Amino acid sequence: MIGRPQVNWQQAIEAVALRQDREAFAALFGYFAPRVKTFMRRSGASEADAENLAQETMLRVWRKAEMFNPATTGFEAWIFTIARNLRIDIVRRERRGVLEGASGIDAEFLLDDAPLPDAALATSQNEVRIRSALAELSDEQQSVVELSFYQEKAHAEIAKALGIPLGTVKSRLRLAMAKLRSLMGDL
Amino acid sequence: MIIQHHPTDELLLAYSAGTLDQGQHIAIATHLLQCKACHGWAQSIENLGGSLLSSLPPTEMASDAFRQLEARLDEPTAAPPEARRGNAFCDMPEVPPFVRRIPVGKWRWLAPQVHLQRLELSEPGDTRVFLLRAKPGVKLLPHDHSGTEMTCVLTGSFSHDCVRYGPGDFDWGDKQNSHEIAIGPEGDCICLIAMQGELRLKGFLGQLIQPLISI
Repeated sequence: MIGRPQVNWQQAIEAVALRQDREAFAALFGYFAPRVKTFMRRSGASEADAENLAQETMLRVWRKAEMFNPATTGFEAWIFTIARNLRIDIVRRERRGVLEGASGIDAEFLLDDAPLPDAALATSQNEVRIRSALAELSDEQQSVVELSFYQEKAHAEIAKALGIPLGTVKSRLRLAMAKLRSLMGDL
Repeated sequence: MIIQHHPTDELLLAYSAGTLDQGQHIAIATHLLQCKACHGWAQSIENLGGSLLSSLPPTEMASDAFRQLEARLDEPTAAPPEARRGNAFCDMPEVPPFVRRIPVGKWRWLAPQVHLQRLELSEPGDTRVFLLRAKPGVKLLPHDHSGTEMTCVLTGSFSHDCVRYGPGDFDWGDKQNSHEIAIGPEGDCICLIAMQGELRLKGFLGQLIQPLISI
């Protein structure tokens, strides 16, 4: 894992939510837009599409800022879910020729349901623990987990990308997830 | 409610990563609404996604990207689409609210005392989703699948191969399984099923009625 940013993203998003603080938003944009763009590129978007999707993700961050709830989610996970749902939106639009509308997808991801009762306790600890658990995996295991976040037809595509048999991808992913789960312990 | 059967970690990863098709996504989301343990784990995987996103190398944005976006910040937000117009929707309280917002077809006869209702998904994909309602004590004909099948028990129970599946349980069958299902005695069993491929009935009677019930 590369060095992590020192900025407190949570304070920045709260400033956006409370005061429509454009300076705080610019800081979020400066760090995350280029990374969302990489995420979209690695998910198969063209250069131009990835640029637009990064813009659109940040626009949704601005508009949804008031809905960010630090008690149930960390900022990085939150922006990840916004980018992910936008990507699903695009995939569905390509398949059908109709824009789903993010609200439909958000509902399918349970965002309108009550958070888990113990979520507040677990959020920040959980983020730290899952990050260090990932770091404990072998490089090979990390790469199948990471690639799982990008690929549409996950296992077959990963096998192609890594040049290894499908069965190896499946067993490697199964082992990686089992190890993550045991490292996460009883959280 | 003690849930005995859960989706695999790989399915939960694909769910949180957003790489499942809509039909399979709906089945996993239905399980997560019933199962706190899996829901919590899926959220951990979202945290992992956030962490990966944040540590990606940057790809340079257009030089005027922020200025372009800033010009759009004051645009009014489009109203969300009116979801529930001109369609039929499931109104069974056992069915999760997000599923009740998806249009459904009519209830159809599948077998004596067994009916199903198909969800009309907005994304045409390989997976079809339907609700199945069966009376207590009913036995379904032996069948297998040409693809995978996810089953979420919403109420009641069924068993196959002497394994019981009750409310909250998640059953994942792939094409190797040939199963004969018996509905439990406690009441109507309502399941949400996400199925790829075809369902194939076995035996003489099954082959006789197969053309009638293509699902």
